[in-house]
Amino acid sequence: MKLKKFLVGMTALALLATPVSAQTLRYATIGEPPSLDLQMGTATLASTISQNMFETLYAFDETNAPQPYLVTGEQISEDGKTIVLTLRDGVLFHDGDTLTAEDVAASLNRWAEHGARGKILGLDNAAVTGDLEVTLHLKEVNGAWKSILAYINGGPVIYPADIVTAAAGEPIAAENYVGTGPYRFGELRPNRYVELIRFDDYTPNPGESNGAAGTRVANFEKLHFIPVPDVGTRLSGVQAGDYDYAEYISGDLFGLVKDDPAVQVKISAAPIFGLMFMNSENGPLADNTKLRQAIVAALNMEQALQVSVGEQELYDASGVFFAEGNIWHTTAGSEAYSEGNPEKAKALAADAGYDGTPIKLLVSTNYKAHFDNASVFTRQLADAGINVQMVVVDWATLLKLRGQPEQWDMFMTHHGDVPDPVLLTVMNESYPGWWQTEEKRALMAQLTGTSVLEERQAAWEKMQALIWEQLPTVRVGSQFSYDIASPDLKTPWEKAPVFPYFWGASK
Amino acid sequence: MGPYILRRTGAAIATLIAASVIIFAFIHLIPGDPVYVMLGDAATPDQVEELRERMGLNEPLVVQYLIWAGNALQGDLGQSIFFETPVTQVIAEGAETSILLALITMFWIVAFGIPVGVLAAMRQGTWVDQGLSGLAMLLASVPTFWVGLYLILTFAAGLGWFPSSGYPSIFEEGGLSNLRYLVLPSLALAAPNAALILRLTRASMLDVAREDYVRTARAKGIPPYRVVLRHILRNALLAVVSAFGFTFAALISEAVVTETVFALPGIGRTVVQSILRRDYPVIQGVVLVIVCLYLVINLIVDLSYRLLDPRVELE
Repeated sequence: MKLKKFLVGMTALALLATPVSAQTLRYATIGEPPSLDLQMGTATLASTISQNMFETLYAFDETNAPQPYLVTGEQISEDGKTIVLTLRDGVLFHDGDTLTAEDVAASLNRWAEHGARGKILGLDNAAVTGDLEVTLHLKEVNGAWKSILAYINGGPVIYPADIVTAAAGEPIAAENYVGTGPYRFGELRPNRYVELIRFDDYTPNPGESNGAAGTRVANFEKLHFIPVPDVGTRLSGVQAGDYDYAEYISGDLFGLVKDDPAVQVKISAAPIFGLMFMNSENGPLADNTKLRQAIVAALNMEQALQVSVGEQELYDASGVFFAEGNIWHTTAGSEAYSEGNPEKAKALAADAGYDGTPIKLLVSTNYKAHFDNASVFTRQLADAGINVQMVVVDWATLLKLRGQPEQWDMFMTHHGDVPDPVLLTVMNESYPGWWQTEEKRALMAQLTGTSVLEERQAAWEKMQALIWEQLPTVRVGSQFSYDIASPDLKTPWEKAPVFPYFWGASK
Repeated sequence: MGPYILRRTGAAIATLIAASVIIFAFIHLIPGDPVYVMLGDAATPDQVEELRERMGLNEPLVVQYLIWAGNALQGDLGQSIFFETPVTQVIAEGAETSILLALITMFWIVAFGIPVGVLAAMRQGTWVDQGLSGLAMLLASVPTFWVGLYLILTFAAGLGWFPSSGYPSIFEEGGLSNLRYLVLPSLALAAPNAALILRLTRASMLDVAREDYVRTARAKGIPPYRVVLRHILRNALLAVVSAFGFTFAALISEAVVTETVFALPGIGRTVVQSILRRDYPVIQGVVLVIVCLYLVINLIVDLSYRLLDPRVELE
């Protein structure tokens, strides 16, 4: 009887709709974030959450140009290797302390030594040269330095000196998440949510709001990031008013949601693109550029994208790494993209001395698009007489296997939008694929050896052409993910940024 | 009864040790490495090696097992590699949801499965029986995720009677009213299980109804409802009770699909996510707890036979 009473009571309670606090933003995520220590990891979700807590010295404006954020300006030496940064005065950390040059120097030094992207700047050291002055000594001139300092993903966010010094190579523990951002850390409940709470003593940048640069206004009292792994549930949760925002809705639901008045569609401003890496260290493709060219000649990317993405509004079959309007845009080399010509492929393969050896294509099922693209490619390559053997594993296994050169010849992955070509994984010589030809090294030196934009652009143009010639990786095409929001959520951006931020948003 | 319980407990501990060895070995046999999952796409080999060393993943497996087992005996299941919080805390977070979900689901199963099973047995061969058996087949056959999504679409997105997903703890703002989050998931989860209990109750009732003492009871002129409730149902429940035990354990450990569809922070989802992340300590901890759960429930079921049927000897 007790149970019955209890359940009757429960049903009655169910009918009393409890008012949902308008002060909390409820963001449905695809899963749980790993450590929120932004310096140490490159997980997208960790960046989306942590950017509300931690800040960088520079921030990107709407045109993707880095603007001073925690600094007021910089002076660069003649040789380009010494950069003096002046910090903003009176910036408060969440623990009430004021930001000093010690904090910045300690954060940058720790990031350069242990950070996920710490090596790309080539920082020799960051030294305190005044109360609000930090001097960076670079090993080599690095033209991309400002973009690198502005890029939050695995980037040099600023923590208090004592916390970074104590943490060193370990990820910072949750109780020490102290930053300068508009939200401070609340709590992390495994499988339930990550909670951030508005930081009432926040010291915003005085500039006018422009992209992530300029002033940041926190309208919500709390931000909740709630793991909702099932995409159907993320969608119906927004429709039912249980979430204000849901990320990564799948392409097959696009037709359903684009005209639904119960949701706003936020197509990503920054496409991700599929990449098929080729093994430059081991196996039949290692020294055989002709065979690589044969493979690429056989591929029809439009077909692959139709299968893996479907909706035409959500993909763009293009071989260029930076879209039109971006300062890095160039079409160099992209005529090799998506030829879909099996006859040419056969001829090139014969020329390359290909004897039908199976080519191992490593792919995971965790990302449907990887698997779909790989299946289409395998078929297209079979038509050109190239024998591809798919090795299908889960993502965690793929990450491990791809580190072993003898395990694979090609593998499928994807890449997010980056602000500078040096941040593309293919540029990294230790990234699986291990592209390290002389021509590449020479162009890389040109790309990073100067801060002059025009010279760097010219170097990148040649680099993109070289990628399409030597084929360390093959770009599959742009894929626009999209998120959805409840109709009354107002965001400061129209298209979703790579890491959607919610200062300036309200409902 | 005392020696029996002692013997059973001894056997349970042996099972537990064997299970923990098997689990440990199997988990570490899967290729893949938590370090790669944690560090992400751009990790360098140096960073990977550094983190492996720090997490003790470079020790021999036997050493890793002994360290883990020793700590587990003291109630310390280690740190989650992914969350960087104690495994016991991760399990406790999931346990509340899973146990409440299982209890509410059991309520639906008992409230629907048994009375309807009795009714079907009493009306054996009529259209009532055939209709109910057909319904049971339907409920048992429709996939849980489909029922779940349909319930969400109708009662959450459509009518707005219940929340679509998630579950804030009853110990938080909202208190007991947060149980409304579990109504739709428990219904989705109850559907196939209630159907099985219905079928089992019906079959068991029909078996018992053929016994001599039932005929004797009827001949003595005992009212039909008393014959059904006191003489048939009580004996028929013996089979149903053992099914309950395993259903309950399964509801806690295997509600993965329901937990995923309804975004519930339960044990099932925790373990599946942990496998994908290669979060070894969490997988080991959860499986250990589930093995314990099965052992305890098994013991309770065996003991309850004796209460239901005094003829059963516990040896």
